[in-house]
Amino acid sequence: MLWTLLAMHVVAVVAIAGSGRWLKIRVLLACAAVAPAATAIWASVQLLQGSGPTIAELTWVEGLDLGLRFSTDALALMMTLLVSGIGALVFVYATGYFSADAPSGARFSASLLGFSASMLGLVWADSVWTLFIFWELTSVTSFLLVGHKNTDEKVQQAARRALMITGAGGLVLLAGLLVLASEAGTTIITDIGQIGGSAGTVAALLVLVGAATKSAQVPFHVWLPGAMAAPTPVSAYLHSATMVKAGVLLLAVTGGAFVDVQAFQTVGMAFGVTSVLWGAIGALRHRDAKLILAWGTVSQLGLLVTLLSIGTGKAVFAAVSVLFAHALFKAALFLVVGEIDIRTGTRDIDELGGLARKMPIAFAVALAAGLSMAGAPPLLGFAAKEAAIEAVVKLSGFEMIAAGIGIIGGSVLTVAYTVRFLVTVFGPGPDTPVGPRRLAMTLPAVLLGAAGLVGFAALGVVNEIVLPAAVELNADAAKYSLLRWPGFTTAFGISAAVLIAGAALGGALSRHAAHAPEPLGADSADRLIDGTMSVARQVTARVQHGSLPVYVTVMASTASLAALPFFADLDTSHLVWADQPMQAVLAVAIVGSAIAGAFVGSRLGAALTLGAVGTGMSGLFILHGAPDLALTQLLVETIVVVGFVVGLGHLARQFPPVTGGWRTVRLTMSILGGVAVAGALAAASANPSGRTPVEQLATESVEEGGGNNIVNVILTDMRALDTLGEVVVLATVAVGILALANLRDPEASA
Amino acid sequence: MIAAHSPIVRLGIRAASPLAILVGVYLLFAGHNQPGGGFAAGLVFGAVAALRTVAGLQRPINTGALVAAGTALVAVVAVAPLLWGDPMLDQQIVSAEIPLLGKVKTGSALPFDIGVTAIVVGLVLAVLDGLGARELAETSVPKPGGAK
Amino acid sequence: MSIALLFTIGGLTTVGLYLITARSMSRILLGFALLGHAAVLALLASGGPPGAAPITNQSTPAEIANPVPQALALTAIVISFGLTLFLLALARRQQVLSGDDLVEDDLEDHRIAEGTT
Repeated sequence: MLWTLLAMHVVAVVAIAGSGRWLKIRVLLACAAVAPAATAIWASVQLLQGSGPTIAELTWVEGLDLGLRFSTDALALMMTLLVSGIGALVFVYATGYFSADAPSGARFSASLLGFSASMLGLVWADSVWTLFIFWELTSVTSFLLVGHKNTDEKVQQAARRALMITGAGGLVLLAGLLVLASEAGTTIITDIGQIGGSAGTVAALLVLVGAATKSAQVPFHVWLPGAMAAPTPVSAYLHSATMVKAGVLLLAVTGGAFVDVQAFQTVGMAFGVTSVLWGAIGALRHRDAKLILAWGTVSQLGLLVTLLSIGTGKAVFAAVSVLFAHALFKAALFLVVGEIDIRTGTRDIDELGGLARKMPIAFAVALAAGLSMAGAPPLLGFAAKEAAIEAVVKLSGFEMIAAGIGIIGGSVLTVAYTVRFLVTVFGPGPDTPVGPRRLAMTLPAVLLGAAGLVGFAALGVVNEIVLPAAVELNADAAKYSLLRWPGFTTAFGISAAVLIAGAALGGALSRHAAHAPEPLGADSADRLIDGTMSVARQVTARVQHGSLPVYVTVMASTASLAALPFFADLDTSHLVWADQPMQAVLAVAIVGSAIAGAFVGSRLGAALTLGAVGTGMSGLFILHGAPDLALTQLLVETIVVVGFVVGLGHLARQFPPVTGGWRTVRLTMSILGGVAVAGALAAASANPSGRTPVEQLATESVEEGGGNNIVNVILTDMRALDTLGEVVVLATVAVGILALANLRDPEASA
Repeated sequence: MIAAHSPIVRLGIRAASPLAILVGVYLLFAGHNQPGGGFAAGLVFGAVAALRTVAGLQRPINTGALVAAGTALVAVVAVAPLLWGDPMLDQQIVSAEIPLLGKVKTGSALPFDIGVTAIVVGLVLAVLDGLGARELAETSVPKPGGAK
Repeated sequence: MSIALLFTIGGLTTVGLYLITARSMSRILLGFALLGHAAVLALLASGGPPGAAPITNQSTPAEIANPVPQALALTAIVISFGLTLFLLALARRQQVLSGDDLVEDDLEDHRIAEGTT
């Protein structure tokens, strides 16, 4: 089934990418909604039936555990529901968001659906390789989507920043996964047990950094506000509901392995608490409604990371609940902001006002989603936030202080920026003109906004989705559940205080129009990326300068130096001066001719020395007992010399003169190479690793090959496949030469 | 070209060609028991062709067709054993009594070698064509009855 | 192993390496041919001492030279033959295009280098 669903996505991506010439963007988006909708329905059925995980496997290299492996446990099913459910709604929304004749419809629709498929692969992944591949695929598709308006330089920069940070994080993650897999002894994620020691610490830190880049944790968060340059459907889908959750999901599934690693808890908590607070402060500083939501996402993701770092059953349960609730309310809020953007033409809270009256439906959705974000009853966000605060209350010592500052302080700020957002956008202010309503945009927003209310009303159903997912991560979570009315507990008291304090703070801040803050982090990230690129270009220019002789010299010298260790084994006892006196004579003649060929000035002379070397080689072959080689060498040499004379007949008779210090370098390198080859050969021949079964070869060649010439039987029978390859090479050379000869002169044909 | 200037050389090449071809054929058949084989035979044929080209003599064979035919033959010999369930390139030995020559033993290596020969000859011809040997021969042949 | 063979192999490698770093295609070609020779000799020399021709009805298996490296060397000769001829055709092509057979620097790489300054 998993393959079918994935194949459906892939086929749709290809079809959509190819039909941009004939179909408009709205049709393409509507077609793209089919695959996610089907997947969402499948996931809901699976969840309702409570059936066990579906596993799909495709082995590529067995010994290395390489291959694709998917498994849909409860957590994966919950994520599937979010990814595909919100995905289908976002596609519907986008048909309203884009004007009917918007350009590049095929590219956008195909990229968005491609992201949807990659994200599914990521949440289903059950092997570290699969996880990594789909992780990177989501980064790439995100890059394409952020850079959708590819003519704007700022958009390009934002897209590149997002790709560089998440891509680099992906590489760090790969390193972490490799350490994790080798330490755990398996690449299958569900089979990975607890690991510890220094390897465990290294793996935990690498995985944490990878997760922090993807889930926009301070200081890697700088790409997320920039990614708001994407069309709003993308921001709602990728950069609030799904892709940014990938890091959190990763921490959730690997958290079990790092239970004993103290660094995982400490560093994770540091990432999380910093992000909760800094993200919320960012949301309070900005004036662009979309940026307010983006910074709010950084804060909420920090909350999730904090909860997962705590790692207790209650905290994990709270994390999964908050993740679920956040996906719903944040997507709804983004959809509303997108609708405001399209209908009023602005997202600046200073220019917006009175929308509660002019856009009542959008206001209702924003109110429901916003209160869910603030954690107010009677909404799903309230139940989830209660669980989070309960988790903090159960802690003790330093952990409690850190997590308390993060979660409770963050909650106050969250309430504050929610109130500021609602008041400044929908409350009194300038009289903003509003365009007509688009049904395709309103409907998905209403569904997602209502989900918070419905979820609170039907808390039992949400529990059935969330609890098994949490239990899978931490068995202790089984005793908890989301409560509609917790009673007058400490946590409830804290919640009430948080709501009051936050509302007061938000109300106070919404009266002052803050200046849009400088994007400090983004600027330094861009400078870092630009600097890296420029260093890379300089290195390339230095190393890859385009001179073939220099490349060859560098490679040959390196190889020669690598042969030096062989000289340690050099043993001269097995060496004789010459096998036959004639051999020595021929050796001197061959080397002499070769040297003459290298320094002779005339081309014809060089061709003749080549012939002399070849003839000398034939002589050596005869002496060695290889008449086949001798015959072939002689014939080859004839043809080569004829070819040389014919081919060079068109050229000047003399070689161009060679001068300069470069020649000394070449000479040094070549002498080094010659000594290395001869020395390594002498050393290697001192201890042969075995003996050729000559007698067996002789018998087999007569009996099975039907010939007395063993060499030829080897070539045409025993190693016939090699010979086949060899003649194919010759045929290819012939075709290549003919093709070169028949090429027209580019200048003549132009 | 030097060769093209001299009628004696041209006559010599003309006379030697059949002899060299005979040597090539011998090498082709001897390969299995004596030094030789398809590759050596191809080189001998190729050398004949090269000499004739350089001397400005005619060559009756089409290069591309030769390479194609050789490759096809080699491929057929390679794949054919699969048809009757043997591994690829498996050797089939046939022996027969032929008048005059006596008992002749040969195998599927022979057509394989013939294919190799064809490819090698084709390669040599391609080189000669590609390097412009014919133009070279023509430009250096003194044109009868007129200076350039 | 005989020092004469080692000397030949080393000498051919030296001259071959020197020639393939030249600018003229015909010299590079000579260099490749010499390196090919060196490789063939190295194969043969590493196969053991010389002996009688490996033809069964002329000598006993005890006296013949190792046939396996000979078969490998034969393949090597053929391949370097093909390579040499192809290089010849390339040199000829270069001559048709530019009037000489010099290997020029890669223009694309030059552009990369210029882009940084």
